[in-house]
Amino acid sequence: MLPSSFTGGGAAKTRKHGGNNSRLEVGTTKRSLVPIFILAPFLVILFSLSIGRYPIDASSVVQVLWCKLTLQPCPVDEIYQTVVWDIRLPRAVLGAMVGGCLAISGASFQGLFRNPLVNAGLLGVSSGAGFGASVAIVMFDNVLITYLLAFSCGMLAVVLSYLIARVYKATPTIMLVLGGVIVSSVFSALISLLKYLADPTDQLPAIVFWLMGSLANARFNDILIAGVPMLIGISGLLLLRWRINVLSMGDREAHTLGINTTLNKGIVIACASLATAGAVCVSGIIGWVGLVMPHIGRMLVGNDNKVLIPVSLSLGAVFLVIVDDVSRILTGGEIPLGILTALIGGPFFVYLLKKTKGGGW
Amino acid sequence: MKPLLEVQELSFKYSGDLIFDKVSLDIKPGEVFCLLGPNGCGKTTLLDCILGWLKPCSGRIMLDGADITDMPARRVAHHLAYVPQIHEKTFPYLVKDIVLMGRASYLGTFEAPSDEDVMIAERALEMVGMGSFKERPYTQLSGGEGQLVMVARALAQHTPMIIMDEPTAHLDYHHELTILETIVKLVRDSGLSVLMATHNPNHGFHLQKSGVNVRVAMLKNKRMIHVGSTAEVLSEYKLGELYDILVRIVDCVLEDGGILKQVVPVSTITRS
Repeated sequence: MLPSSFTGGGAAKTRKHGGNNSRLEVGTTKRSLVPIFILAPFLVILFSLSIGRYPIDASSVVQVLWCKLTLQPCPVDEIYQTVVWDIRLPRAVLGAMVGGCLAISGASFQGLFRNPLVNAGLLGVSSGAGFGASVAIVMFDNVLITYLLAFSCGMLAVVLSYLIARVYKATPTIMLVLGGVIVSSVFSALISLLKYLADPTDQLPAIVFWLMGSLANARFNDILIAGVPMLIGISGLLLLRWRINVLSMGDREAHTLGINTTLNKGIVIACASLATAGAVCVSGIIGWVGLVMPHIGRMLVGNDNKVLIPVSLSLGAVFLVIVDDVSRILTGGEIPLGILTALIGGPFFVYLLKKTKGGGW
Repeated sequence: MKPLLEVQELSFKYSGDLIFDKVSLDIKPGEVFCLLGPNGCGKTTLLDCILGWLKPCSGRIMLDGADITDMPARRVAHHLAYVPQIHEKTFPYLVKDIVLMGRASYLGTFEAPSDEDVMIAERALEMVGMGSFKERPYTQLSGGEGQLVMVARALAQHTPMIIMDEPTAHLDYHHELTILETIVKLVRDSGLSVLMATHNPNHGFHLQKSGVNVRVAMLKNKRMIHVGSTAEVLSEYKLGELYDILVRIVDCVLEDGGILKQVVPVSTITRS
């Protein structure tokens, strides 16, 4: 699935830069990619249900899904049902949502901050969430409280960054970045403090493991809890996606083009932060996805955020589900996702850079 | 004729320092208004106030008779389009994507441009002679081509007036003339008004020679010291006063017998 969608995109890109072909042709080539990007995450989720340490053949997977969805009694072995429906499905769905959220927020922030090197954590949401989770691990040892604290501290960090930027009454982009840097480093210091104070036998490993990201404990409940902010954030960004083009022209130009920059920037930041905080609070900190998936999108479909934002969502979802599959299969011990995303994504990114010549940078 | 833009006794302070004081100007339909002034005299600040980006500390700015103080950006954008002095390029957007952004003020918050907007953008590109560049990444354009794309974006905004901040800065002779000729074409054919800040008084003569209505204003020492036609304002004495230089104005006889006046800056002078 994945390679075919990528070569498809690459072909569209080269043709688009071919120059003399008519607009219609470019349009149709691009449009024919739409179903691929929409279907890809679902196909990857489906595919990942049958693979793992406990192999289940595709027909049983389909049978289980069919019975569960139509609420019929299931003829398939009970243990297959548990593995497919209660363990792998929520994990894959959550992985897709988390990956999609990180990538779409990253793409939005890159546009908003006019900087291709930023990711969703720019305003401190990741380190804030990491701090919240560490507090919860040290003080409460309860999964639900960990989610809540991680989410609220992540959002708190963004609010603080925003308030720091407001010293000038407006919110100049550079001040937001500075605010984000300050808040991130304060929260990172607090995380270190908590690691230092934590019980080294059980709490410290729990914090470290959380900070490296994992979907191993995903259940349907997590999707219900974290899904709300993630879906709100994703919908907002999808609706505002063309505006992000205009915002990326810089505050003054966006203003003269007729956009209320303070309001629009605020909404984009709020949506991206909701999506990221929702993702991070259940998965821990997973780097790389938010930075690099938008870039792969840029190489495949260009920089117009109208197309790039949804494509990033799809790519992020596909990528994280695949990485999580690899994490499940490779070792019994489950390598943390934050490590694997970089190990798998890095070389793949270099390959794409070579293949597409960077896409006009 | 009723002015499109009226600036009345406008003053602006930047953290306590007065940048300009009680500046007034007005712009009528179909004229080019050239704003001259030494570096740092507040030309760009004045334009930013007119665009509603900076808030003046006193005075009024009227667009079509309406005060812009509480006007939302969207409404200002229906009156004024802006061509920046320096456009910082970030992502390699395609030229057509850049021009489409001129349509932002006509679209709802969650709306993307329609096919009609695409047509308007393509027509704007044709008007500045950049139609064949629409599928190119705009980061790969030369300075002059990039500036024409910015003009096309302003045209796509469908405003009666365009504000240009030193539109020919950093351009070679050819591209400088291309921009001036484009301005002439837009003013003559479409009846647009242009307010432009410039460092080259010859632009006034050139535009005048091309047959468009030109007025020139000089901003110095926080004040508008002269406003008027090119003949009135672009004199050796007044230009010398503006830039503290010795100036000669010469007549160039062109092949068709017409005369194009040119400003020749000779030397600096120190006033005691």
